[in-house]
Amino acid sequence: MEEWRQIFYHAMNMFNVVIVSYFILANGIYTVLMLLSLGFVWLHNRRLTYQGLDELRESAVTPPVTIFMPAWNEQEVIVDSVRSILRTDYPSLEVVVIDDGSTDATLSRLITAFRLVKMDLIYRPRLKTKSMRGFYLNPRIPNLLVISKENGGKPDALNVGINVCRTPYFCTLDADCILERDALLRLMRPIVRSPLNTVASGGIVRILNGCKVQDGKVVKVNLPKTGLERFQVVEYLRSFLFGRTGWDLLGGTLIVSGAFAVFHRETVIDTGGFQHETVTEDMDLIVQIHRWAAHHKRNVKMEFTSDPVCWTECPSTLKMLGRQRRRWQLGLCQTLWKSSEMLFNSSYGVIGWISFPFHLYVEGLGSVVEFVGYFMVPLALLFGMVPVPLFVLFVFLSLAYGAFLSVGSVLLEELTYRRYPSFRDLMTLLGYAVLENIGYRQLVLFYRVQGVFRFMTGFRTWEKVVHVGKTQ
Amino acid sequence: MPFLLEHIFAVVITLVLVVLLGTGGLVVVAVARRQRREKYFQRIDDLRQRYGPVIAAVLAQKLEYERALAVLKGISGFDRDFVLEQLLLEEKKPPPDQVTILRRLCEDLGLVKLWQGRLSARIGSASIRDAVARPGSVLERFGWLHFLARAKAADNLGIIQHRPSWPLLVKALDDPHTDVQRVAVRSLAAIQEPDSFAPLVERLHSVVLRPATTLSLRAVKTALVNFPLKQAVGLIPSLNHPHRRIRFLATDIIREIVERHAAREEEFVLDAKVFPPALAEAFLNQLCFDENPDVRARTAPVISHLADPRATPVLLTLLGDGQWFVRLHAVRALAKRKFLSQAPSVAQRLTDPQWMVREAAARTLLVFGRVGSEHLASHFLTTEDRYSREQIADELQRAGLIPSLLAQYGSAEDGIEGRVIAQFAQMGKTSYLVSVLHHSSEHGLRMKFIQNFGRHPDPQIRAWVRHIATRDPDEELRALAETTIRQAVS
Repeated sequence: MEEWRQIFYHAMNMFNVVIVSYFILANGIYTVLMLLSLGFVWLHNRRLTYQGLDELRESAVTPPVTIFMPAWNEQEVIVDSVRSILRTDYPSLEVVVIDDGSTDATLSRLITAFRLVKMDLIYRPRLKTKSMRGFYLNPRIPNLLVISKENGGKPDALNVGINVCRTPYFCTLDADCILERDALLRLMRPIVRSPLNTVASGGIVRILNGCKVQDGKVVKVNLPKTGLERFQVVEYLRSFLFGRTGWDLLGGTLIVSGAFAVFHRETVIDTGGFQHETVTEDMDLIVQIHRWAAHHKRNVKMEFTSDPVCWTECPSTLKMLGRQRRRWQLGLCQTLWKSSEMLFNSSYGVIGWISFPFHLYVEGLGSVVEFVGYFMVPLALLFGMVPVPLFVLFVFLSLAYGAFLSVGSVLLEELTYRRYPSFRDLMTLLGYAVLENIGYRQLVLFYRVQGVFRFMTGFRTWEKVVHVGKTQ
Repeated sequence: MPFLLEHIFAVVITLVLVVLLGTGGLVVVAVARRQRREKYFQRIDDLRQRYGPVIAAVLAQKLEYERALAVLKGISGFDRDFVLEQLLLEEKKPPPDQVTILRRLCEDLGLVKLWQGRLSARIGSASIRDAVARPGSVLERFGWLHFLARAKAADNLGIIQHRPSWPLLVKALDDPHTDVQRVAVRSLAAIQEPDSFAPLVERLHSVVLRPATTLSLRAVKTALVNFPLKQAVGLIPSLNHPHRRIRFLATDIIREIVERHAAREEEFVLDAKVFPPALAEAFLNQLCFDENPDVRARTAPVISHLADPRATPVLLTLLGDGQWFVRLHAVRALAKRKFLSQAPSVAQRLTDPQWMVREAAARTLLVFGRVGSEHLASHFLTTEDRYSREQIADELQRAGLIPSLLAQYGSAEDGIEGRVIAQFAQMGKTSYLVSVLHHSSEHGLRMKFIQNFGRHPDPQIRAWVRHIATRDPDEELRALAETTIRQAVS
């Protein structure tokens, strides 16, 4: 009995060491990312004062772009979304909407709204996809093509887009997203200006809930009404403004949000297109490109820019939030597992030595460690292995550090883009940044652990997040 | 000394305090920043309200220049220069008729001198004044962030198209920071000083020949394309350069300049007045035979605008080039009504092995109007090449020609239209046809279609006939459809 007791004590002690190490590692890296981003985003914002868009808009050498909008049962938002992107300020733009076998009125609403006619056109597949049902065009809107196909999932729909795309670059955009008018120009700027071959460029995704939308355009930015959505605003700011920017600066970009990103078509085709093995095809593609570039010794660049904005609706119920976060976590685990050869592989530089291990140990497995910690540390307390005051202090430190990072992201927003105009909005955001670590963080952690569990049990289904139109 | 629990306590407590202080500090910075920005915007708004109408009036030439200048000289304070810059350069691309006045205002208010000083990294009284007025700008004025000030200065000089500043901007092409180089390139393009063309061409060469250059090729190319056509003669040495990529870029820049002009003028022709004979000769005798197919391809659009009898034969040569994209550019270059007589040569490309050439050929023929359409239709009916047929069907649909095809079919005696429709039905490409018929109320057309095609095995046509037979209010049509269905079944 005594022996078991000793083993238990040793195990508890070891776990406590793991928890503390995880805490130091994760927060250490987050702090580095935050400090890097604070400097860089501020500087980027200053540089924007002389980086006019007119040059890009009027230049004959700005490459044409095709926007792909895959849609599956998006009847509520699809027409407004397409209207919005047709108004995008870009010199040479084509729009391809891919109806992925919707069972609702997505296709018929598009046909009616844009007076589309079914045509029997040639389809030249370079990537294998499910079969086509029809092509819909209006000769008076020559830059809009709607394709109806059999349901095959988002990666399949995006591959259809690649097959019909004629332009050297394409932009992926979710059907529930609203692009700011000049967002595509801004997103293409790093591609046009870089002397290196920039094969992917990602922009920032902001939360649409609560904003006033008129004719497919955000006319007034407001904070959402509910706490759940407001927490997500802070979370998105943290994730995009300092997470993605920080990794971009370190050269360790592993995630570019497929909700709004531009890719070089031929590179994507060379890497095999969007894959079906994971439920986060965007991250999977970025990892694939890294592997392809290392394998073929290509010097390519993937950039994240914080000023091109795409607005999207975030989940407003716990059920939908759970679906979304489980999927993200499941996709993260699937992608990292699929490309495990990159771990500590010097061919991948920063990616192999810092970014990949961070995503694996902190973002992936860290969720389980943190979750188990919520049970094990109190257990250690119960068995008298940790002094009560130290336990309280540690919990407090953990919450305070979380608040520090979240407040940092709100400050970053304030130093740069200030999208939330009223003073009250700022104070509300700061309040939610402080409170985010009490309750909301644990809730999201729970969903993430479910995602890891699903990965371990081989679950592969894409959980659909239904958008209910929480704009004004 | 052993690591005691007390030490852990001390470390954690210190960390908690540091983090709390840090968080509090961030909150204070955020709030203070918001308040400062609100004050700043308030001041700018006030000034805009006060001086905006004056600036607008003088730019629209509704207010005497001297009076406006006197009013603007009344703006004072440490941040005077910054405020004036904000007010005057609100429009990043001022209309051409306002640029002269704007430039004069900037000169007379001392802004141009200030920007020139910044660009050449001179520290003057203005920099010190500005740094005092906006403490946040100290690093920009004197520190490693000075490149921000230099780039902004270069940008401002470009916005007001300040011609005398071009030597400074050319010097800025060698600035240690890429941003300054890039903005200088852009500003030179805006100013369009003829003497600055050569340094830009030189920069183009160095970007190609020294890949380590941080400036992007696109930026230099965009700037050169902005210059007027008469400057193109400055690219002759590049057209003869031994490096194939430089030859390609020079050809492509001239192509872009020519296409920009062509887009503005309807009957644009490249004659000796606008296009130096030396250049024309280079395109007709040398570049169209260049070993680099990219160069050959880019010559086609330029040659198509040349007022020279040799132009058409050269284009026809390019139409038969071994490289598909040379043929593609040649076919596209021929898409002008003046090349109507070349329709048979273009029609030959409808059977090109490369689908993009076939597509371009079909589109070019459609540009030719009736003559082109006839060529297209006759090829559609006679060719044995399945891919060529598919391509034509594709283009006829994309161009929205099916409704007019059906209208002509309905109104004319049996002609080519009927055979084209039969070909579409034969190929199973009837979605568009049937869609037009569904929305048509033309009695004659529908009668004729049912008589001629009602028994066709195509499922979409069959479904439409069934629809007519059961739902159409027109009795005669319904009866015909019913009879046709019966005949088809028997």
